[in-house]
Amino acid sequence: MDIRKVKKLIELLEESGIAEIEIKEGEESVRISRHGQGAPQVAMHTVHTPPTNGVPAAPVEAALPAEPAGHTVNAPMVGTFYQFAAPGTPPFVVLGQTVNVGDTLCVIEAMKIMNQIESDKAGVVKTMLVENGQPVEYGQPLYVIE
Amino acid sequence: MRQKLKRSLLSLLSDGLFHSGTALGHTLGVSRSAVWKEMQALSAAGLEVHAVTGRGYRLAHPVETLDKEAIRATLSKPAQRLLGKVEILDDTDSTNLYLMRQAACGAPGGTACLAEQQHAGRGRHGRTWVSPPGGNIYLSLLWRFTAGPGTLGGASLAVAVAVMRALHAAGLPIGPKGAGLKWPNDVLWQGRKLAGILLDMAGESSGPCHLVAGVGLNVVMPAPAAQMIDQPWVDMRTLLDPPPSRNLLAGLLLQHLLLALHEFQRYGLAPFMAEWKQLDLIAGKRVALNLAGRNINGLAQGVADDGALKLLVNGATQRYYSGEVSVRELT
Repeated sequence: MDIRKVKKLIELLEESGIAEIEIKEGEESVRISRHGQGAPQVAMHTVHTPPTNGVPAAPVEAALPAEPAGHTVNAPMVGTFYQFAAPGTPPFVVLGQTVNVGDTLCVIEAMKIMNQIESDKAGVVKTMLVENGQPVEYGQPLYVIE
Repeated sequence: MRQKLKRSLLSLLSDGLFHSGTALGHTLGVSRSAVWKEMQALSAAGLEVHAVTGRGYRLAHPVETLDKEAIRATLSKPAQRLLGKVEILDDTDSTNLYLMRQAACGAPGGTACLAEQQHAGRGRHGRTWVSPPGGNIYLSLLWRFTAGPGTLGGASLAVAVAVMRALHAAGLPIGPKGAGLKWPNDVLWQGRKLAGILLDMAGESSGPCHLVAGVGLNVVMPAPAAQMIDQPWVDMRTLLDPPPSRNLLAGLLLQHLLLALHEFQRYGLAPFMAEWKQLDLIAGKRVALNLAGRNINGLAQGVADDGALKLLVNGATQRYYSGEVSVRELT
């Protein structure tokens, strides 16, 4: 399941006061529950279709941390996230793109300063964690680079 | 070559008198049709040109072309020491983008750039800053910091105060009955935009980083270009009679930007706060902050030490770092 969806679900849970939420999507399901005042817990399941040779496959269970796995590039300031230099121009980076240290990934606008956010790691852009035009907090993960 | 031609044409026409295409071509060593082509281009870019059969071309308003030496001459000694190279361009996409490219190639802090016109002048994200040739100021200044960009947000407000200092020095009334500031850095005259400020920053999150402070000042806005502006606006020509010399204005802006960035680098936003408070157009008013398509309604309570907008929302003071403010109640 898309890490962004999971993140959205966690935010939803945190805002709502709901104790537990479970979403099924095809063969995948994710259950997020809140115990007491602590951070929400995430359990993601993938149910594999049994192979045709009849050997049953055990369901795989994986616990995901609330923070995305891999190297994240985080927001160095509070502001508004933009993946384009300007509307109508191509995004700075797209998923799957290889980036080098120092390449611009996005812009965070704060007090009319357009801050170009550079990658601090060479690798492939795996995930974009924020939508264009959304506000971001200090230290909020923006991209996963692997 | 074409850049040079355009600039020479502007210089020749700067007296506001009629010049025939043949005479202009002769002086510049080009054909009459080359002159015609350039005049078409200037006109398309928003300059008001009168073309009269039998008499030639005339600018609707005399133009004072930008002059590096005249600008330098207006600077005080301390400002001159902070200033690096000054570049005057005929036409560029945007002086900010130009300096950001220069910065990436190692240009030192204190490098300044002015342009007669911009063909991709920018405002806040995605907006255009209408930048015709013929009398406005488009000025950018590069500054380098050892700190990371996270601590430098206040530079936006410091630059706004610097612009107000320059306008005041040029004879414009500022404060409650004159020009003021709308957070974070809009320069307004009775609700109309007089100057826009946009900053670009890049670098490592823990530093070093570089900042380009860009100022667009409406000095003489040609009528054809004015039709492209999507908000209430005003220019210096309307506010001051006679309007100040363009090179003097450019020099004053540069002077105050240099000194302000130097001051901000050493002491942060603190030395600018008292002036900001006097110029704050929205403090004490009910405002709406549009943030990511949502409106947050609150009572403006001035700015925080780091430049954030303080809003009283549902009985609690919140700090905001981005979004567009509109005043809901005019007092």
